[in-house]
Amino acid sequence: MSELGRAALLVTLGLSVYALVAGVAAARLGRRRLALSAQNALLAAFVSTAVASAVLLAALLRHDFSFTYVARTTSEALPTAYTISAFWGGQEGSLLLWLLVLTGFGAAAVRLNRSWARDLVVWVVPVFAAVAVFFAFLVVAVASPFATQPAPADGVGMTPSLQNPYMLAHPPLLYLGYVGLTVPFAFALGALLSGRTDERWLVATRRWTLVAWTALGVGQLLGAHWAYVEVGWGGYYAWDPVENAALMPWLAATAFLHSVMIQEKRGMLRIWNVLLVFLAFSLSLFGTFLTRSGVVNSIHAFTQSSIGPWFLAFIAVTVAVSVAVLLRRLPLLRSRARLESPLSREAAFLYNNLLLLALCLAILWGVVYPLLSEAVRGEAVVLGRSYYDFFLRAFGLPLLLLMGIGPLIAWRRASLASLATTFRWPTAFALATGAVLLALGAGSSLPGLVAYTFSAFVAATIVLEFARGTAARKALGATSWPGAFFSLIARNRRRYGGYVVHAAIVLLAVGIAGSSAFDSVGEATLRPGETLEVGRYALTYRSLDERQTANATELRALLSVRRGGRDLGTLEAGKNAYTVEQQVSNEVGIRSDRLTGEDLFVIAEQIDPDGTVTFRVFVKPLVNLIWLAGLVFVLGSLIALWPDAREQRRLAERASSLGLTTSR
Amino acid sequence: MIALSVAAVLAVFLLYTSIAGGGNASVSPSELRGRSDPVQLAGLVVGPVTGDAHGGGLRFRLRDIGEKSGVTVPVRYTGSVPDLFKVGRHIVVDGRLRNGVFVAEPGSMITKCPSKYSPAQKAGTG
Repeated sequence: MSELGRAALLVTLGLSVYALVAGVAAARLGRRRLALSAQNALLAAFVSTAVASAVLLAALLRHDFSFTYVARTTSEALPTAYTISAFWGGQEGSLLLWLLVLTGFGAAAVRLNRSWARDLVVWVVPVFAAVAVFFAFLVVAVASPFATQPAPADGVGMTPSLQNPYMLAHPPLLYLGYVGLTVPFAFALGALLSGRTDERWLVATRRWTLVAWTALGVGQLLGAHWAYVEVGWGGYYAWDPVENAALMPWLAATAFLHSVMIQEKRGMLRIWNVLLVFLAFSLSLFGTFLTRSGVVNSIHAFTQSSIGPWFLAFIAVTVAVSVAVLLRRLPLLRSRARLESPLSREAAFLYNNLLLLALCLAILWGVVYPLLSEAVRGEAVVLGRSYYDFFLRAFGLPLLLLMGIGPLIAWRRASLASLATTFRWPTAFALATGAVLLALGAGSSLPGLVAYTFSAFVAATIVLEFARGTAARKALGATSWPGAFFSLIARNRRRYGGYVVHAAIVLLAVGIAGSSAFDSVGEATLRPGETLEVGRYALTYRSLDERQTANATELRALLSVRRGGRDLGTLEAGKNAYTVEQQVSNEVGIRSDRLTGEDLFVIAEQIDPDGTVTFRVFVKPLVNLIWLAGLVFVLGSLIALWPDAREQRRLAERASSLGLTTSR
Repeated sequence: MIALSVAAVLAVFLLYTSIAGGGNASVSPSELRGRSDPVQLAGLVVGPVTGDAHGGGLRFRLRDIGEKSGVTVPVRYTGSVPDLFKVGRHIVVDGRLRNGVFVAEPGSMITKCPSKYSPAQKAGTG
């Protein structure tokens, strides 16, 4: 079977090379049949990659340990769901998944757009093919998932902490995001190469970018939730290089999704948009390089392997080619419109973009700083948490404020008087909220108070927008209020989906501010019967239980919880000792308050044989809003993504009319 | 316009670097000799592990990852001990050398967790 897999991947490599060479030749010489043949080769590459993937999946399910990959990532006893997740659990398999998604996305994006943007697509095909050649080369020559060995009796198995439902969804979502960013990259580069630099490449890729961006965002939130619930150190994000690796392309893509609107409406920021797409794609490659090469210290120790230098070379080629093509096409990208006033929607979006990019680059600087300082000063210097926290506040808080201003300010030029009318109520609401919170004692953290106040401002603008819009639709003859509300959203999905996403970001900001700026911590070593007080909670350690399960010894400390004199029941926290793996894992106790979104988070740090336990207890206000934000985020993205034939037609018409004027 | 905004962003950046300065140097046990400034120490745990992280301090030694230089540094650590801490694991701690003992900042220890991308046994051996 492994021969079939290897052969299928060789075919993929051959087809990708053909699609690249034939695609370039067809585009340069203007051969339509050759161009079609290159497109078909891309589709065929997807099919052969799918065959290879099926071989690997079958090997995993059959526990065929003669496959080195299967033996190294699974064992006989591993549940089926995790056996499937082992597909992307190791490096070779994850590269294969990458190639599968890449060729699939490529073939689909090309097919969907070739009828109305043929001149553009002929150059998009070779770009997809070039990326596919790289990944196909890796799985054929450098890190083959089909290496074989004399089959051992059983496989090595999977680390217990990773046998977890989160790990079924978190990695593939991140891959979907990373690979999805190839689509806007290929269309942007294709547009430059073909000289068709009108707005069609934006229209063609808007939904793809949105899907990739949503997957990347949800994937990260799932990872954060996993860290919070399973890893059990009381946090959800540690500014670790590997976490940052996923955040950076997400920030770049966020900037792109916003600046795209300025280009669609006003034809501005055209060079900027191309740059953002190149940046987002390069950052997703860079993220993979970071995690694979082991060049920086991370708490996530990935297998350090030989593919690091290959990735570095590919990133270098990508950046060099992108910049060279961009410079050659620069005259075509000159904007026709200019920024008329620093008080306008264009300007607000520009500030938003600069802040997002500044945050992204500050994080990038922090990630590569150990490497740079090692090269320059001879010793690696690591930038700590305070570095990232500073920039999150310095750039994130103004971003939050702009999220309320941007969507409402007038295009071209806004007068101060109109601003006063538009923002009167949101400002009043925000100031009132700030004053009340200050009186309640939120002044203990200035950034936290500012975050709350800005969030109130944005929330008020969003509510006002929905209220105004619904009232207008009712006045236009909608039969009922709910009817008016839903037809409002349905008629402008992109705008109102965007508002829902903004509402999710507000929830996220409030959740982060609440749980990081206003949390309280307590630690104590208790004997049974003793009590620890943290915030308004009083926890009494009752007893220690020991249970034996199939693969672990579970120690659990039982605590009874009271808040303000009211009994809230019991909570368990402890440790599992895994016998076979010789590993201990913390099993934290979490009590979520449904009404306030507050968590009581208990870690049993140390359990002594005599029954004394050292507890570490956090009270994290509003932390559940972060997870709620994830759901709202998906809802908003779905609204914005939902097919809207009318809007698509309008955009296509406008873009192609613009296209005619610019390509002459 | 754009230039002004970029300048503002740069100014914030410079403000930070001038106030907060750089981070800590990341060193291996063999590079630690003779330094007394706060550093981040990365190494491999060597037994025996004695003491109590929530009492007088957990005591163990660290040696260089990878090469067998033979240099080890005694470490005293208090605070949370990650699940994966044990002899043979890679860990990173913040702290400084005092009288020949590396005194770690409470709660600063992180272990490299064997992620999905590396089989359990091989985590850290490259």
